[in-house]
Amino acid sequence: MLGDESDGSRAHPIHLIPLMTEEGEKVSSDDDPLLPFSTGKTCGACHSYSTVTKGWHFNAGIAGLGIEAHGRVGQPWILADARTGIQVPISYRPWPGAFRPEQVGLSRLLFLKIFGRHIPGGGIGEQPGEEPSQIMRSMVSGKLEANCMSCHDADPGHNQAEYAAQVVRENFRWAAAATCSFATVTGSAKDMPDTYDAMMPEPPDDPKLVAPAIAYRAGAFDGEKRVLLNIERESAANRCYFCHSNMYIDGNDAEKWSSDEDIHLTAGLTCVDCHRNGIDHNIIRGYEGEADVSKNPLAASSSCRGCHLPDEDESAGAPTAGRLGAPIPEHRGIPPVHLEKLTCTACHSGPWPGEKTYLAKTSRAHRLGTVGVNKSAEALPHVLAPVFARQGDGKIAPHKLVWPAFWADMKDANLAPIGFDAVRQTVGKVMARHELPASGDWPAVSDENIVEALKALAAEQKIQGKAVYISGGSLYSLNGSGQLERKMDHPAAQPYMWPIAHDVRPAAQALGSRKCEDCHSPDAPFFFGRVSVDTPVQSRAGASMIMNELIGASRPTYAGVSWFFKWLIVVIMALLILHILGDLFRRFVSKVTANKPAGTGAGKPGDERKQ
Amino acid sequence: MKKSNLAAGAEQQYFQRFGPQFRIQHGFLFSSTIGLIITGIPLWCLGRPEYGWSQDVVAFFGSVEIIRFVHRVCAAVLVLVSVYHLLYTFLTREGRREFIALLPRVKDVADVTRNSLYFLGLSKQRPRFGRYAYYEKFDYWAVYWGCVIMIGTGLTLWFPGIAEKIVPWLAYELAAEVHADEAVLATLALLVWHFYNVHFNPSRFPGTLLWWHGRISREEMLHDHPLEYEKLMARKSQTAKPG
Repeated sequence: MLGDESDGSRAHPIHLIPLMTEEGEKVSSDDDPLLPFSTGKTCGACHSYSTVTKGWHFNAGIAGLGIEAHGRVGQPWILADARTGIQVPISYRPWPGAFRPEQVGLSRLLFLKIFGRHIPGGGIGEQPGEEPSQIMRSMVSGKLEANCMSCHDADPGHNQAEYAAQVVRENFRWAAAATCSFATVTGSAKDMPDTYDAMMPEPPDDPKLVAPAIAYRAGAFDGEKRVLLNIERESAANRCYFCHSNMYIDGNDAEKWSSDEDIHLTAGLTCVDCHRNGIDHNIIRGYEGEADVSKNPLAASSSCRGCHLPDEDESAGAPTAGRLGAPIPEHRGIPPVHLEKLTCTACHSGPWPGEKTYLAKTSRAHRLGTVGVNKSAEALPHVLAPVFARQGDGKIAPHKLVWPAFWADMKDANLAPIGFDAVRQTVGKVMARHELPASGDWPAVSDENIVEALKALAAEQKIQGKAVYISGGSLYSLNGSGQLERKMDHPAAQPYMWPIAHDVRPAAQALGSRKCEDCHSPDAPFFFGRVSVDTPVQSRAGASMIMNELIGASRPTYAGVSWFFKWLIVVIMALLILHILGDLFRRFVSKVTANKPAGTGAGKPGDERKQ
Repeated sequence: MKKSNLAAGAEQQYFQRFGPQFRIQHGFLFSSTIGLIITGIPLWCLGRPEYGWSQDVVAFFGSVEIIRFVHRVCAAVLVLVSVYHLLYTFLTREGRREFIALLPRVKDVADVTRNSLYFLGLSKQRPRFGRYAYYEKFDYWAVYWGCVIMIGTGLTLWFPGIAEKIVPWLAYELAAEVHADEAVLATLALLVWHFYNVHFNPSRFPGTLLWWHGRISREEMLHDHPLEYEKLMARKSQTAKPG
């Protein structure tokens, strides 16, 4: 299409274009009813919308895509509910450890209402529901189209938080337009009956309810019904930040003013200098080995190594190392084994590791940037970082981690999470006596609470096997006599981890830049930092595990040797000092007796000489 | 060592206890060890905030790289003198003789017991030692053990890539821990035990120059190595007899 192929000009393209409704009609300020513009029809007039919406940000829920579309494990959505002790990673992508939303009882609509705030539309946002009632609701709310404005609107007045607010009100049809500075959306589709038709709206029966409506700023349209959209091809970092911000509690960069920016941005690059894409919007994620999965040759040269390390194959054409001014590090004094066994990010990315993992907040997990967000440090979900662990390719990388917590139906060794609604209904009733902390933290759940909840689930819900509770790496179940049992080896209880890429620290602040002991010492956080075991279960409060259990390093051997040497030093030095004291004592006694009158001495002359 | 000679002095009779081979090896050994301790301690302390003074040592040297370089130069000297000592031990007659004399024997165990009783005043006679007393043998074998451990783990830390292929069971952290622990033991033993015997011992304070000239007086010989003295005297009287 017209906009899909570049003519070679690097100049900023001006978008003085008509806005189009989802019906394909031009929007005019005097329309009645005044409708929101559709990105599919407005942007899609010149760009292949169907191609774009198969790209990375939109394709999670598209069925039939291969692994090349999903790639390395990434950040999941996290369904968290303090009342019922739930914190479960979910994703439409087939990432190990994450459940599909329907597995935890989230319909498409419910998923969008909870997480759509940070989904740029398209994909799952445009799919109709499966049940008639859902289809009816999707007629009222409209589709959550790919919001091109989320990334490409360079207008300083662009308000992505408004998108989140519209999603909560089920104003999917209006959400993209609401982010633009020239449009204002009011009302709520959520409050409208299933029969509501936005094309022929009728006032709601209840005067307190307001039907969704849009108003365009006066003068936004020119005489030919065109609007000047401040569109830029390369998205500004600020656009990315809405969904990709991180905050580390207790770390050095808890607040933006007290922390430094990613070194690449400080150096003048933007996110999209590395995270590039063509019209297919298969944006490069930038991890090592991505090219092998995505089959995108540009991915190989857009990773850390692609820019910073010389090509091993010098016959491969033009060199890519050093592009964009990337320094080529010598890694002087660092044994090459580090480059083979660690990702670049292990030393260069994320917060500087401390004795214990930090609580981390992310835009997508904690609704950062949206209206009314809980700013408390303890607000669920509890994401921990940095956690050094082996990733899929065996290399050690820094990760964020979440401990899954959910109620499940266990048949043999297989677990099926119990639906969110059922859990709210049954477990929520048991836990209702707990006062929830205002901070959004877990309430303190006792073993008796778990026993009661498991019995209630078995009695009230259709449990095929056995009701169990997963939390903090443990599986809780009732044995034959109704006693609570805790097992720690079930795979479903293992933590879900995804690699950290940003913020990248400069070389001088990389792990090991000053000394090997940054990682290679008995108390180095890299190997021996404590990973908090997060759980609402009171009896496990304060539990932690050692980082090397996730890396696979040999702590027991190390500890045993350390113990051996410490005692060896104590015993040998004690014996040597005793020997010296004995010698001194004998000298003293010999001297005293030698000074006594003859006949009273015990030793021979010369006995007081050295030993 | 050369044959233990009787060096007749004008007033005092001296015996040549250690020859130049032994003294030169000892010189390289102690100078490299002192260098390793001086540079090793700040390197170890650098990663620990409670030892902030280590930054001052770094500043004195100029940078961590310089300290590490000096440490490795000293380590290389230690490796070379250790290898040389092995060759000396097995390839020279003197080396073999000294090595055999330094081997632990049942008498050493008995000497430890007798000396302990002597210290406690339960025995009036201290044990009579030969060429090497049990505590001198301890000194020698402690250095042997120390060199094997320190050089082995030190090379693992210096060349981790190669070490991983040759000794995959010796993880870097394990090597670092053993290196540090053994260094602490060696340093303490050196400063407390060896320094007491050769410097702080009341009969030797402030020190002996035995390490420099290799000579020992007749009085010291009679007291510390009476069996060796008797052996030397017996040999002397044999060689003095004609035919």
